[in-house]
Amino acid sequence: MGRSDAMQDKGSSHSKGNAERLKEEVILDTNELRLIEGHGRLKVRLSGNRIEAEFHNLEGPRFLTSYLRGKPAEMAPLVASRICGLCYTAHSINAAEAVEEALGVTPDKEVVELRRLLYLANNLRSHMMHLLFLSVPPIKGLISVFRLREKDLVAAGTKLLSTSTQLIEHWGGRSVHVPNVVVGGFGALVRGRELMESIAKLESLRADARLFVEHVLAIELPELERFRTMISLKTDAYPTYAREAPLIINDGSTITDEEYFKNLEEVVREYSTSKHIYFRCSEATVGALSRIMLNRRKLKPEARAYAEGIEWRINPFLIIKAQAVEVMHYLEEIIETGERLSDATISPNGYPCIGNGKKDQADTCFGDRSGKGIAIAEAPRGTLCHACEVEDGLIRDYRVYTPTAVNSKSIEMDSVEMVKRFRPLGGEKLKYILEDLVRSYDPCLSCAVSLDFLSEP
Amino acid sequence: MKAAFYSLTSCEGCLTTLITNLGPNLQALWRIFDIDYFKLVREPVGGEKVPRVDIAFVEGAVVTSLDKKRISQIRANSSFVVALGTCASCGNIAYSASRGVDLKRRALREIEVFEAEPLSSYVSVDFELSGCPVSAEEFTVALLRLLNGIEPKQPDFSVCYECKMSGNRCLLDVGKVCLGPIAMGGCGSACPSVGAPCYSCRGPAVEADLSAYLRTIRRHGIPEGKALSAMNAFTGKKIVELLKDGKK
Repeated sequence: MGRSDAMQDKGSSHSKGNAERLKEEVILDTNELRLIEGHGRLKVRLSGNRIEAEFHNLEGPRFLTSYLRGKPAEMAPLVASRICGLCYTAHSINAAEAVEEALGVTPDKEVVELRRLLYLANNLRSHMMHLLFLSVPPIKGLISVFRLREKDLVAAGTKLLSTSTQLIEHWGGRSVHVPNVVVGGFGALVRGRELMESIAKLESLRADARLFVEHVLAIELPELERFRTMISLKTDAYPTYAREAPLIINDGSTITDEEYFKNLEEVVREYSTSKHIYFRCSEATVGALSRIMLNRRKLKPEARAYAEGIEWRINPFLIIKAQAVEVMHYLEEIIETGERLSDATISPNGYPCIGNGKKDQADTCFGDRSGKGIAIAEAPRGTLCHACEVEDGLIRDYRVYTPTAVNSKSIEMDSVEMVKRFRPLGGEKLKYILEDLVRSYDPCLSCAVSLDFLSEP
Repeated sequence: MKAAFYSLTSCEGCLTTLITNLGPNLQALWRIFDIDYFKLVREPVGGEKVPRVDIAFVEGAVVTSLDKKRISQIRANSSFVVALGTCASCGNIAYSASRGVDLKRRALREIEVFEAEPLSSYVSVDFELSGCPVSAEEFTVALLRLLNGIEPKQPDFSVCYECKMSGNRCLLDVGKVCLGPIAMGGCGSACPSVGAPCYSCRGPAVEADLSAYLRTIRRHGIPEGKALSAMNAFTGKKIVELLKDGKK
């Protein structure tokens, strides 16, 4: 492509002072990455004798977080949901929690439990979508899920995917962008018995899940071990959603959510519409593999049995196996949580009063409240952090730190490592393996771009 | 017949809705159509090249230089272009959000960012299927009509109508800003059914009467400014045009 070559030259000429003497050569360019959420591109180039990788986010920013500025705090879940079409529930629940913390609202215990249930269903849906449609077919050298020869596998996967979507629709009010998650609780009445009924049919899905998980766990994957910081939430159960939980790092230390938030650093990359996020001035990896490596003793029995059978190492390709184990775990946990909630009734707190404010000019019902809030939870792709600042019931600042933006640096460093080791394979073959590598991370570029390159500071 | 499913700047929620909600019927699409391009489901035939198709479904708004290039290529190669979802039909939240940001503050090396626009700002669109996200049922009906040579149809009723059908309590009566009366229906009044006011995420209804609506909310004692700021959220370009017409 002539146009990008011209751009390339322009980019390299000012990146290094002695550019004339350094030989610049693009070793590998994936063009638009196939089968990932959003639009992205991976470029690896040789600069002098150093290999550099660039993970481009080409997705356009939609400025959802800057839109929230000056808007009533209770609007946050509604808008944050639109960040992503795969993990919308995670975004709207995190937004609700961040705003609640800022406003000093404490939801009931049942509300937190039901939110966790929604979170689990969403993580299950997202994992199934990623594994079935995006990751497994290309790793087997196929162009589409419908080319898989194992028809029972596709049927089982589709069943898990559509059932988890139905659960979200049933509890959330709509299959995508759920309106039922609101600041303070739930918009509509949820009864334990209804929950039980919707969960009862999940028991029959265990067989499908087993078939699917075993298939994914048997896939042969490339080796690429490289040490790096891994982070996950730390809760009594296997981490998904919890209010106020510490985080655990793979050096054995535990930090509070405040500390995690303070150690995040936003870095602008001149080739990406989203910022990269560094943790303690360096890379960190979050996601299914980090969760499994740091918390696998807390998995539910059947999932744990699967996890024991695998030698977990810091190999990004293993992320899809970790996700498969989690599919089983999420299914087990949804069934168990449903049973626990059978007697609960969550009464609606009504939709918080947008446009029914006591202070008329404030446009919000929390007109007298201000504060800061952070919400951290384990979204499908890893640790998701929403932070907000509310002044007189209106949002002053809103930031979203997505797992993909955190993982971007790791994706680049792994790509470099990959090219170093497998360069003799030649560009064409290497390209496919590199695409598989990026895909393993399950990047969601629509999510990542919510921390866009134009955002302050 | 050939069909293709593209994605521009969006959350990709519309395509995932189709994938998950069509369920086992998704494969049936391949029996009806020859599909060379379906983001998230298959690797595109011919790499980045836009194939020639009979029907193109496009989700997302036009924000970047890549989107601009892509949408004109899609138009040039497709006989019938369907805008899928509110981003593509109205610009969604990005439309008003991008107008409050200094886009010149920083430049990127290979990609340029513009104010978000719906597809219709750049190319002619044959049919708009609104919704944030689109409903799989409406998609199927539109598809069946297209296959049989009948022009597809947008819902010609409002959310308010559907809300009355589901027997919900009117949110305007309790003093909340609900856009139901002027919002395009078809969602089954998803939000008011869980007690959340309608934000008109599908854009204005076909025959939205803005002045009558503003009279109604005044009668309910709700300040006009609140309703206008709520309208700015999802309906993007459509409501801006509607407001302009109202002033004339």
